[in-house]
Amino acid sequence: MKKTVLLCSAMVMMLAACGNEETTDNATDNNGGGETQTLTAWAWNINIPVLEEAAERFAEENPGFELDIVEQGTPDVYQQITTGLQAGGQGLPDIMLIEDDRVQGYLNSFPEAFLDLSEYGFDDEHGEKFPEFKTELLTLNDSIYGVPFDAGPAGVFYRVDLFEEAGIDANQIETWDDFIEAGHTLREELDVALTGIDINNDDGVYRMMLNQQGTFYFNEEGEINLNSQESIQAMEVVKRLHEEGLNENLVGWDAWLGGLANGNVATAPSGAWLTGSLTEQAPNLEGDWDVMPLPAFEEGGNRAANLGGSNYMISANSENPDLAYDFMAFFATSEEVQLAAMEGGLFPSLNTIYEEGVFSEPVAYFNDQPIWEMFAGMMEDIPYANYTGNYAVARDEAETAQAEAVGGRSVEEALERAANQLDNRIN
Amino acid sequence: MNQTNRAPYFFIAPAVILFLLFTAYPILASLYLSFQRYEGGSYSFVGLANYSRLMGDSIFWTALSNTFIIFIFQVPIMLILAMILASVLNSQLLKLKGFFRVSFFLPAVTSLVAYSLLFSVMLQDNGLFNELLSYIGIGPIPWLSDATWAKVSIIMAMTWRWTGYNMIIFLAALQNIPEEMYEAASIDGAGKIRQFFSITIPNLKPIILFAGILSTIGTLQLFDEPFNLTSGGPGNATMTLGLYIYENGFEYFDFSYGSAVAYVVVVLVAVLSFVQFKFTGDKS
Repeated sequence: MKKTVLLCSAMVMMLAACGNEETTDNATDNNGGGETQTLTAWAWNINIPVLEEAAERFAEENPGFELDIVEQGTPDVYQQITTGLQAGGQGLPDIMLIEDDRVQGYLNSFPEAFLDLSEYGFDDEHGEKFPEFKTELLTLNDSIYGVPFDAGPAGVFYRVDLFEEAGIDANQIETWDDFIEAGHTLREELDVALTGIDINNDDGVYRMMLNQQGTFYFNEEGEINLNSQESIQAMEVVKRLHEEGLNENLVGWDAWLGGLANGNVATAPSGAWLTGSLTEQAPNLEGDWDVMPLPAFEEGGNRAANLGGSNYMISANSENPDLAYDFMAFFATSEEVQLAAMEGGLFPSLNTIYEEGVFSEPVAYFNDQPIWEMFAGMMEDIPYANYTGNYAVARDEAETAQAEAVGGRSVEEALERAANQLDNRIN
Repeated sequence: MNQTNRAPYFFIAPAVILFLLFTAYPILASLYLSFQRYEGGSYSFVGLANYSRLMGDSIFWTALSNTFIIFIFQVPIMLILAMILASVLNSQLLKLKGFFRVSFFLPAVTSLVAYSLLFSVMLQDNGLFNELLSYIGIGPIPWLSDATWAKVSIIMAMTWRWTGYNMIIFLAALQNIPEEMYEAASIDGAGKIRQFFSITIPNLKPIILFAGILSTIGTLQLFDEPFNLTSGGPGNATMTLGLYIYENGFEYFDFSYGSAVAYVVVVLVAVLSFVQFKFTGDKS
């Protein structure tokens, strides 16, 4: 009997030791009188140094503040968040990084899981400091559930040297037709592909074209919009790019970035965050890249769109919601923090800093052009995209439709089928 | 007396507790989950609604048929390859056996993601595979972007990874076949091929069954390769049941429906294992 008791108590102690690790850490970290308050955060790669910088600055005003950052890959963060939400919010950190397109999915499925920041007055106090499309996408039933962080104002990244060699003037490209025309010139002169769209797995270019036309998978009422005129028009461009031999089907992120770095692909319609990846992955191409606004569908049409971007949300289970809110409000509205984010290539959605000197400075890597000024100028014109809670299913159907359309089916048919299938799946 | 009777239970207790906690409980919980529906933050009981929804779900049927196509081609190819390799590596004539055994087994211990990434790089339109094929005059093959070739790619990747693993199992079994049987057979005039079919295969039968069932279960749960190589595309051409479970749970937040698909897999594994026992198992 004695042995059992011993064994059991040993096991209990082991379990207790595992569970209490965090609390003991906090107690010993107590530095000189002021009580230590620790928040935990989940985020990935280039966001980590920004969080660290913000925590340092915040601690200056709030002695004893500590941020415990858990760095993980993007898919891991989401898997763990989903698991935590499914478990009623248990095991979640205080704050978590969530991309634009995921927000409504989480909010719709787990409405009780996130801290309502309207109760803290975030939208009244700071709402004006962010573009509407960002605050909209964080809103559910008139309450805001996260602080906006970076945005992805879109443009066409292009190789200046290749364009010059082929005799293309980027300034002359105003419409998607002009863009395709330039692609033919590139093919004929240099045998280089215009784009590197991953036809089966990424509909980013199509999504930007939807967004610039002020529409999305769903319209403002949340009705399925996959078979709209705008959608057909956008998908037609992708189909043409591929059918006319201007697209190289690069499967996956690494292959795409590789194609951009080794000169197989001359342009990349993408969000501003691509600046960071390009400068990091292809430092030897300094001066060879530049950015122009997205082409429009007709001359004079809207050229502003958004692709990607992220936000921070606070768990409703946080033991210290007030502190978490204070820190996140500081993070989102501190100009220093947002400028630090730009060094990593993240474009801030905080509009109070667009007047800063950094924005008008030429960027050496991008042909000495003030690309930040261009992106900042677009922010106000970016239409709101209604992601809804069914974004993931809709995207799956849109990508299938893209694969079908490129594979030979007519765009109308493919999108009609996708719209019907989507309707079946979500209703 | 009493104490000695109890002792074994204490020793197996940790394993049993862990099993109950991390295996038995999730299995039952997911069965329960598959009869529920999540809406607006709470669960409600819906009976067989998730299962009847499966019947009309074309993606589920596509996933099911993809899984079977991959299963029907991949498992026999892999097992035959593994058996040939094992026989060769078991031969007395071969030198450097240790080196070959390690080399063939190595893929089984590499990281799933690492090897999928490697394959995805090699299988690009202008990747290594097409580069090599172009030397022998075969035009670029759309490995990852064509519905049929994408399946072929997945079968190739899986075969690369798991052949060595099965080979080791066969090799262990081969070494239990007494050498005298082969000697006797060759005295009787049987050639190497005859020996393979009349001695090796019959003696390996229980192990073939074992490897077959393991591979069946593995293929029905297939997830990593389509997830990392093709994301289930093009279209849904490489969507598998495993991937569909994941997508329902973690992409669409529909854990109940995902659980229902998971239980279809459970039933399939049970049925297929039973069939394999029935047809290839030892009657004695």
